Amino acid sequence: MTDPFATAGFLGLSGALLVIGLFGILTRRNFILLLISIEIAINAAVLNFVYFAAYAPSAPIALEGQSAAVVVIALAATEIAVGLAIVLALNRVRGSINVAESSELKL
Amino acid sequence: MSYTVVLEEFLPALLLLGGALLVFLADVVRVRRLEVFGGIAVAAIVGTLGSVLADLGTPYLEAFRTIPASVVDAPIAPGDLFAFTSLGLIFQGIFLLAALLVALASLSRPSHERGAAVFYGLLLLATLGMMFVAVAADLIFLLLALEITAISSYLLVGYTRRDPRPLEASMKFYIIGALSAALSFFGASLIYGAYGSTSLLVVGHTYPAGADGPLALAGFAFLLVGLGFEVTLVPFHMWAVDVYDGAPHDVSAFLAGGTKKAGLFAFFLVFLTPVVIGAGAQLSGSLELLLAILAVATMTVGNVAALMQDQMKRLLAYSSISQAGYMLLGVAIGTAPAIEGATFQIFAHVVLKAGAFLVVGAVAAMGVGPFVRDYRGLGHRRPVLSVAFALMLLGLAGIPLTIGFFSKFVLFSAAVEAGGLFVWLAVAGVLNSALSVFYYARILRVMYMEPAEGTDPATGTDGPLLPLGGLGYGRASAIALCAVVIVLFGIDPAPLLTAFQSGASHFLALGV
Amino acid sequence: MNLESGAFLVLAAAAVATALLALLVRELVHTILWIASFFIVLSGLYFLLQANFLGVLQLGVYAGAVTILLLFGVMTTRRRIFSREAATGIGPASIVLGAGIIAVFGILVAGLAGATTGSGPNSYPPALLSQAVFNVYGPWLLLVGFVMLAALGGAIYLVREGRE
Repeated sequence: MTDPFATAGFLGLSGALLVIGLFGILTRRNFILLLISIEIAINAAVLNFVYFAAYAPSAPIALEGQSAAVVVIALAATEIAVGLAIVLALNRVRGSINVAESSELKL
Repeated sequence: MSYTVVLEEFLPALLLLGGALLVFLADVVRVRRLEVFGGIAVAAIVGTLGSVLADLGTPYLEAFRTIPASVVDAPIAPGDLFAFTSLGLIFQGIFLLAALLVALASLSRPSHERGAAVFYGLLLLATLGMMFVAVAADLIFLLLALEITAISSYLLVGYTRRDPRPLEASMKFYIIGALSAALSFFGASLIYGAYGSTSLLVVGHTYPAGADGPLALAGFAFLLVGLGFEVTLVPFHMWAVDVYDGAPHDVSAFLAGGTKKAGLFAFFLVFLTPVVIGAGAQLSGSLELLLAILAVATMTVGNVAALMQDQMKRLLAYSSISQAGYMLLGVAIGTAPAIEGATFQIFAHVVLKAGAFLVVGAVAAMGVGPFVRDYRGLGHRRPVLSVAFALMLLGLAGIPLTIGFFSKFVLFSAAVEAGGLFVWLAVAGVLNSALSVFYYARILRVMYMEPAEGTDPATGTDGPLLPLGGLGYGRASAIALCAVVIVLFGIDPAPLLTAFQSGASHFLALGV
Repeated sequence: MNLESGAFLVLAAAAVATALLALLVRELVHTILWIASFFIVLSGLYFLLQANFLGVLQLGVYAGAVTILLLFGVMTTRRRIFSREAATGIGPASIVLGAGIIAVFGILVAGLAGATTGSGPNSYPPALLSQAVFNVYGPWLLLVGFVMLAALGGAIYLVREGRE
C-alpha cells in the first residue's frame, strides 16, 4: 500500500495512543480523566482511518475511510456527553466523582 | 443509497423510533402516567414483531410483509451496508421478544413513577439499535448499531437517577462500554487498513489471504476483545455481575435477555461471515481453537462462581455468563447445526433468563430480600409464581420437557457431529450443565423444602413473615408468556427448529 | 529524512507527550489544557495527511466542543477548580510506560531516517467526501443520529433538576 516505514510510524503512533488510553482507563480514578483516556483511545482509531484513507489505492476506498473517521468523531463526542451526564447525576447524589471512593462496585 | 430507500426498508424498525418519539413527546406535554408510555411501547413492539414474523413468511401474516420475499436471503453486493437474511430476521424476533417481556412487566410498576417516559423511550431506542445489528453487513454499520443499544442501556441502568447504586452501575457500564467501543473501532480501522473496506463481504472474499496478514490478524484480535466485553467472554466478564446486580430489576432482565444477545449476533457476523466466505464452512486453525478455549473457560468460570453466590441476582448474573459460553460454542464450531443450536440456545435464554430476572423483580416488589435464603417457603406462599420460577430454573439447568433441554441437545449433538476437538467441547458442555444443576437445585430446595416461618432476617426476631404484596397484571402476563413458551417449545420444538435450521443454512450459504 | 517525515516525527512526539501529560499532571485544569493541545496536534497530523476536512472537523469538534464540555464537567463537579486531589501524579508505572514509548519512538526514528520517499498522501476534495458521507454511507450517519437521539433523551433527563 505504501512504504513500510511510514506505515510503521503511523501504526506505532496510533498504537502508542491506544496504550496510553488503556493505561489511563486502568489506573486513573477520577471520572474526568477516565473520559479523557477513552477519547485518546478512540482518537487512535480515527488516526488509523485517516492514515489508511490517505494512502488508499483508489478514491472510493479512501472516501470510505474518511467517512468512517467522520462518523467515529461524531460518535465519540456523543459518548463524552453521555459520560458527563452520568458524572453530573452521580456527583449530585454522592458529592464525589472519584471512582474508587464512590464505588462498592470495583473496577 | 438514498435515505428514502433506507427508510422504506426499515419500516418496521421505524415503528419503534416513532414509538420512542411519541413517548418523549408525551413526557414533554406532561403526561404523567406509566400506563400511557407502556401502552405506546408495547404497541410499537408488538407491531414490529408482527411485521418481522410476516417477513419471515409466517402463515396468515402475509398482508403485513414490509420486505419482499425476494430480498430476504438474496445475494448482496460488496458495497451494501446491510442485508436482510432469515437468520437476521429471526434474531430481530428474539430481540423484540425480550423487549416485549420487559415492557409488559414494567407496566406493573407504580403508575406515577418518575422516569417512566425515559425508561420506555430508551427501551424502544435500544431495541431499534438491536434491529439494525441484526441486518448489518458492514463493520462500521454493525458497531454504530451496537452503540445505539449501548448508549441507551447505560442511561437505562441509571434511569432512577436518585439512587446511588444504579448510577454507579451505570458509570461502570459506561466505562466498560466505551472501552469496548474504542477497542472495536480500533480493530475495525486495522481491518479497513488491511482489506481496504469495512464490508464483511469484501473482508470475507479476501480472507484469510488479506492484503496485510499481521494487520488483519491484529484487527480481528481487537474486535475479539472489544466484542468480548459485550458478550462477557471470560477474561472480560467481571463488570457484568456488578452491573446486572446494581441495575433496576427490569433493566437487568433487558440486559441479560436483550442487549447481550445483540453482542452475540455481532460475534456471529464478525467471526463467521468473513471466515465462512473465505475459508469454507469452518473457522480456520488458531482462531477456532482460541474461541473454543474461551467458550469453555467462560462456561466454567461462570458456573463455578455461581455456585458460591448467596445473592439471587448475582447468582443469575454468573449463570448468564456461563450461558454465553454455550452460545459461543456455536461460533467456535461454525457448522450449520451448531449455528442452529446456538440460535436456539439464545432464544431459550431470552425466555429463561429474562423471565428469571423478571420473577426476581416481581418478588422484590412484593417485599422479599435479595438473598437466596430470603426465598425460603416461597413455594407455599406464592405457588403459581414459584412454579413459573421453577420452570425457568429447570430450563436453565437443561432438564427435559423444558426448552432449555432441546437447545443444549441440538448444540452438543452438533459438536459431536463436527468431530475431533469438538467432541471434547461437548463433553465440557455436558459436565458444565451437570455442575449448574447444583445451584439451580439449591434455589428449588430453598423455595420448596424450607419453611417460610422462622427467623426473619430483616428483624432478627421469630414469628411469621410479613404478608407479600401483589404481582400486578403486567408482570403476571410477562411471566406467564415466558412459562408458556418454555413448556410449549419444550414439548414440541419442531416449528422453531425448522425455522432456525433454514436460517442457519441460508446464513452459511450466503455468508452474510 | 524529508520534510514530511520530519514534521510527522515532531507531531507524533507532541501527540504522545501531550496525551501522557494530560493523564499525569496533578491539576485537573492543566489536564484540560493538555488534552486540548493533544486534539490540536492530531488535527495537524490530519492536515499533514491531506485530510483537510477532517482536520477542520477535529479542531471544531474536539479542540472546540469536547474541550469545553470537559472543562464544564470539571467546573461543575469541583468547588475549587484548581484541585490537587484528583490526579495521582507520576508513579513508577507511568515512568515505565513513558520509557517504553520513548524506546518505540527511537526505533521509529531510526527506521524513518533510512526511509525512501514514497508517493505522498492522496488529497480528495471535500465535495467528494460529502457525497460519500451523505449518499453512499448515509446509513452510517442515520445510525449516528439515532445514537444522538438516545443520548439526548437520556442525558437531559439524568441531569435535569427534578421537581420532587
